[in-house]
Amino acid sequence: MKIRDISRMAWDQVKRRKVVTGLCMTGISIGCAAIIVALSIGQSAQTYVTDQVNQNFKMDEITVTPGGGIPSRGGGGGGSGESNENLDPGKLTAQKLEIIKSLNHVVAAAPFEDAGYMQMLTVDNKIADVQVKATDLRMLTEFGFKFKQGGVTDLPGMVVLNYGATLGLIDNETRQKLYEQLGADPFNSALMDQYNSMSTLPSEMYRQQVQLQATDYSTSEGNIRLSSALQVGGILSTAEGTDDLRASYEKIMYVSLETAAQLTQQLSFGTNNGMTPNVEENSYKTVTVKVDSTDNIKSVEAIIQKLNLNAMDNLYQQEMLKEQFDMIKMAALGIGVFILIIASISIIVAMTMSTHQRRRQIGIMKVLGANMGQIRNMFITEAALLGLLGGLLGVLFSYLIIMGLNKLVGTAGDSLNFVIPLTTIPVGLAFAIMTGVLSGIYPAISASRTDALTAIKRD
Amino acid sequence: MLRVENIKHSFKTGNEWTTVLHNINFTVNKGEMVALLGSSGSGKSTMLNLMAGLMKPTEGHIYIADHDIVQMGENKLAEFRRKHIGFIFQAYELITSLTVRENVELPLVFQSISPSVRKQKALALLEQVGIPDKADLFPSQLSGGQQQRVSIARSLITEPSVIFADEPTGNLDTKTEEEIIAILLKLNQSLKTTFIVVTHELEVAEQMQRTFSLRDGYLINNQQPPADAESAEGGAG
Ligand SMILES: Nc1ncnc2c1ncn2[C@@H]1O[C@H](COP(=O)(O)OP(=O)(O)OP(=O)(O)O)[C@@H](O)[C@H]1O
Ligand SMILES: [Mg+2]
Repeated sequence: MKIRDISRMAWDQVKRRKVVTGLCMTGISIGCAAIIVALSIGQSAQTYVTDQVNQNFKMDEITVTPGGGIPSRGGGGGGSGESNENLDPGKLTAQKLEIIKSLNHVVAAAPFEDAGYMQMLTVDNKIADVQVKATDLRMLTEFGFKFKQGGVTDLPGMVVLNYGATLGLIDNETRQKLYEQLGADPFNSALMDQYNSMSTLPSEMYRQQVQLQATDYSTSEGNIRLSSALQVGGILSTAEGTDDLRASYEKIMYVSLETAAQLTQQLSFGTNNGMTPNVEENSYKTVTVKVDSTDNIKSVEAIIQKLNLNAMDNLYQQEMLKEQFDMIKMAALGIGVFILIIASISIIVAMTMSTHQRRRQIGIMKVLGANMGQIRNMFITEAALLGLLGGLLGVLFSYLIIMGLNKLVGTAGDSLNFVIPLTTIPVGLAFAIMTGVLSGIYPAISASRTDALTAIKRD
Repeated sequence: MLRVENIKHSFKTGNEWTTVLHNINFTVNKGEMVALLGSSGSGKSTMLNLMAGLMKPTEGHIYIADHDIVQMGENKLAEFRRKHIGFIFQAYELITSLTVRENVELPLVFQSISPSVRKQKALALLEQVGIPDKADLFPSQLSGGQQQRVSIARSLITEPSVIFADEPTGNLDTKTEEEIIAILLKLNQSLKTTFIVVTHELEVAEQMQRTFSLRDGYLINNQQPPADAESAEGGAG
């Protein structure tokens, strides 16, 4: 029997038996929609959260810190660092940095010393808290930073601000006043709005002079020290898709290692106030390494560890999330499959009913030479077709459901947006067809066993 | 062509076995058209169903084209039936969801014959049974006589060795009955297909070349087949 004939006859039956078709399609479509919606929600939530994580943690970077472990022999690549290793083998030296830079798959490597939070003071007396990071400024672009304005020069006292550091600069009085008002009336939404709009108020910082100031809290007077004048040589642009409010949360000033050393001298009070870049000649506390692809992170890390250094990446963040979302997806799939199993009961019942009603027809076909296999195939094809139709309807349902969900979430004003990944549609359809076929097996076999004679005999 | 040997058939009703066919023996030659005559309950349908392989006899053998169909399993029988046996029912048994042409084609569908070949054959047969214009109608749109013509065309489409007809005119009025019998006789003449026609009407049986009469499960006039293919008795009135 030709496939074409089988499918045409199956289609004929599906068309004629509207009640059976409707019943089966409803069940399957709900199950299929459940699978597609569940997978899509899982996927969308994963994308959303992963995006959030990626904005905060760079996945293709390794943070290298000095190794504290027992000195090990046989760092094959560390020929030039040999003499230093005798003193402190775990030291993160300039030579080691050079070796790391020359490694395969390493795009860039540079020290990023976190010098802590400082107050940045503009010439017109505006203040912002910025995080100071000491690095090789020439390497910034190689780490994927883009300049919105300006660029890098080697001039001493030159700093680079990220975009966030140009937002929400307020003069001290206004700032104090607003803080006080907010403190007195924390639930005043007008004040809050004012605060928010001020936080994103841009200032022209390019080519401006700034100073850093530190307050010595160890004494009751709170001595204030000011750094020498720094020149803003460049403004970085934000990562794509970051809005101003979000950008304003992160204010960073990048300074060169030399400048950092200078600042230490100017601002240190003798006591540790957080401003301790401690830039030793030829040795670093933190080096960030950018790798060409996340696939090579682990292999590069292995080599770095051979240099007696600690290497840390952010992949575990993703892995943790992936595990969590895999679990959510499995649970969702389970729910969908459960619904399909229920649906398959409706198909079995409906199809068995239908085979019973069609016993006579089956009998005739057998007398005309249809064998058991052919009858069975006809019924299974019919069931598969029901599954496919139910699946298609389910796809339609799932789009409607996701649309509804987006409307719901949309009003909440979050950037979470549900989409149906195209790959989930074949998965949903496959489950639907499989349900059809599996539930069709019993009715098909019972149909193929119909005794021709008893079927035709009229009562 | 067809040989029935020592057939005995019993049905179990409750705890008792009732034998409805006793030691039946007869032979039908190729191209013959014979009647199986008997009153209601005499065992005609049972005999026909046994010959068509739709059920197994309690005892005995049935040979069609030298194959013992009693020995065949269900799928083998389906295959055999497809190639060698045509069937015409009293109540036509057309499939209501298919058009007339599709009904006629149906046995070929199970043989995976291509649609174009099927269509051509079906239309030719509908022409032969006199309803070429009804090809695209559905069975419900036809009269009983016309439906039986469709059923006859369907039984012939596989070019079977033998066609079994169980009271093919049982549901029809006398005039239509004559038309149908005439068609069967004509087809038997032109196609040389063997026909075995069950009837309880003597007038019908008399038009066939030979008649086997059943009474209470016994064959009562086992006429030997003619030595040669005869021509004197046959033909429509
Ligand atoms: N499935 C069955 N189970 C039990 N008895 C049966 C069965 N089929 C037929 N019989 C019996 O076998 C006998 C012969 O029946 P059969 O149908 O062959 O008669 P028939 O000659 O075709 O009669 P009619 O002209 O009424 O069709 C009857 O007595 C009937 O009751
Ligand atoms: Mg009968």
